Amino acid sequence: MAAAIETKQLTKSYKSRQAGTINVVDHLDLHVEEGEIFGFLGPNGAGKTTTIKMLLGIIYPTSGEGFVLGKEIGDMDVHRLISYLPERPYYYEHMTGLELLKFYGSLFGITDKDKFVQLLEKVNLHRDMTKTISQYSKGMQQRVGLAQSLLNDPKLLFLDEPTGGLDPIAHREIRDLILSFRDEGRTVFISSHELSEVELICDRVAIINRGVIAAQGKLTDLLKGGRIEIVVEGVQEALLSDMKITDANVRTLPNGFMLDMPEENDPNSVIDAIRSQKGRVISVVPRRKRLEDLFVETVSSRGANS
Amino acid sequence: MRPILAIASTTVGEAIRRRVLLVILLIGVLFIVVAPGLGILSARSETTVLRGFMLGVTQGVSCIIAVILTVYMIPNEIERRTIYTILSKPVQRWQFLVGKYLGAVFSLLLMMAMMSAVMAFVFFLQQQSKNVGEVADLMKGPMMYFVQMCLLAAVGIFFSTFVAPLVNFFLTIGVFLLGTFFNPLFQTLQENQNTVPFVKLVAKGVNTFLPNFANYNVQNPIINPTSVIQNEGRYYLGITVYGVVYISILLIVAILIFDRREV
Ligand SMILES: Nc1ncnc2c1ncn2[C@@H]1O[C@H](COP(=O)(O)OP(=O)(O)OP(=O)(O)O)[C@@H](O)[C@H]1O
Ligand SMILES: [Mg+2]
Repeated sequence: MAAAIETKQLTKSYKSRQAGTINVVDHLDLHVEEGEIFGFLGPNGAGKTTTIKMLLGIIYPTSGEGFVLGKEIGDMDVHRLISYLPERPYYYEHMTGLELLKFYGSLFGITDKDKFVQLLEKVNLHRDMTKTISQYSKGMQQRVGLAQSLLNDPKLLFLDEPTGGLDPIAHREIRDLILSFRDEGRTVFISSHELSEVELICDRVAIINRGVIAAQGKLTDLLKGGRIEIVVEGVQEALLSDMKITDANVRTLPNGFMLDMPEENDPNSVIDAIRSQKGRVISVVPRRKRLEDLFVETVSSRGANS
Repeated sequence: MRPILAIASTTVGEAIRRRVLLVILLIGVLFIVVAPGLGILSARSETTVLRGFMLGVTQGVSCIIAVILTVYMIPNEIERRTIYTILSKPVQRWQFLVGKYLGAVFSLLLMMAMMSAVMAFVFFLQQQSKNVGEVADLMKGPMMYFVQMCLLAAVGIFFSTFVAPLVNFFLTIGVFLLGTFFNPLFQTLQENQNTVPFVKLVAKGVNTFLPNFANYNVQNPIINPTSVIQNEGRYYLGITVYGVVYISILLIVAILIFDRREV
């Protein structure tokens, strides 16, 4: 598949009085496939927004290159195919939801009113389309933002913290919308630190810290290394250790033992073996590696920014 | 063209909702309405003073509106991040800037037209002769002020691409005052036979460089009591062309700066 986003040694540096020149984004090599939901994760000040702004041509890289949909960044033709939802966005408050879409539509030369209404329906705002933005709640503003980001039927969406500051219900609505974007064949680039959410929807992620990529890859690959814990009673320890499972430990408990093994092993064969010896299986607990663990691991090993 | 117009009309929509501007406009209108009743008017030169006063109010109020309108225009867009969504669409930076400028021009047109209409009405009412021609003559003032304010708005937008609003406020007003009061002075220096060549050169430089706002003040009988213009139509056309050329240069330089700037 073709790359939707590709950066090569992309760097942005700022001069500061105390620290001299600092690379806010430091020789970044990103690779985002077409059609995937890509999570761009990192602690506050990691350089996520800076990277997105460079990809959109709002700020200019100090060095390195970036390609969006195969074109070098700054190419205006690409802007017809992408869209952007900034973090904590603000829209002209005097406009109604419908007027806002009309305004952004006219920037593309779109004047079809039915389309605007359809989009407002899609984000569940059609009942509020004559209210002004100043009367919208945060969640409604975020949804009208998503509606404007769909105006040009984009192939690639940049969403900068799309669920920041929203309540759980709004979270869920936005999450469902983002998933629907993938079903429609769009590529979605999300910057976030809502890890549980990213874990639910992203195909691949990159974790960035102090402008440097600490990990990048398929979520399923990055989260490998989970374990399964099986607690048993009424068997000898030897039975468990004789199974010769790689990287497994057996611990003695007051009434039995706990076998702790990598998640790649099939717990059923272990359970069968125990049953055949008239042992009892008390519990089987999978301990999956969470994105949060990975995040904390990668970020704290290098020291977070603030 | 469509993006430019969309940005311009949105700018107008915002401007006519800005309370500061509306309050200033209202104060201006109020002054014009009460002008005939003010004690400053002596019987002898009644219309002259009244005309001068009303034109002065219109010009002053328009000037303040033009400055407040433009110095915040770009910085506000950046601070509120509205510019990001716009620039992520197929909108070039020059289109954004020109759209913003045209929005300022349309807003000024609206507000100045309203003030002028009130002025024409008030002037007509207190006139003994009910001479419509005289009212029409009075309206040449605001028309020239409009060109003047378009030029001032371009100065404001130009500075707003690289300085903060507060600094810009004083800069733009400063340029307006310089262009109003110093240009005539340098003009005299430049034309005087006895001026030292070096001073003459400086005067010429300043004269060319500074936008000449004084050109547009000829209608005010208080400021320019003696000025007689031979060919009125030609003169107005001339200063309008001067304004348009100057505005174009300012906008082009502003675009060059804005294009390189991080927002
Ligand atoms: N114009 C600027 N001048 C100097 N430093 C800047 C500028 N813009 C951003 N930075 C610095 O760059 C770093 C990265 O900022 P950025 O906004 O990209 O972080 P982020 O990953 O989006 O963080 P958050 O999660 O808080 O949104 C920060 O340390 C910030 O202070
Ligand atoms: Mg950010």
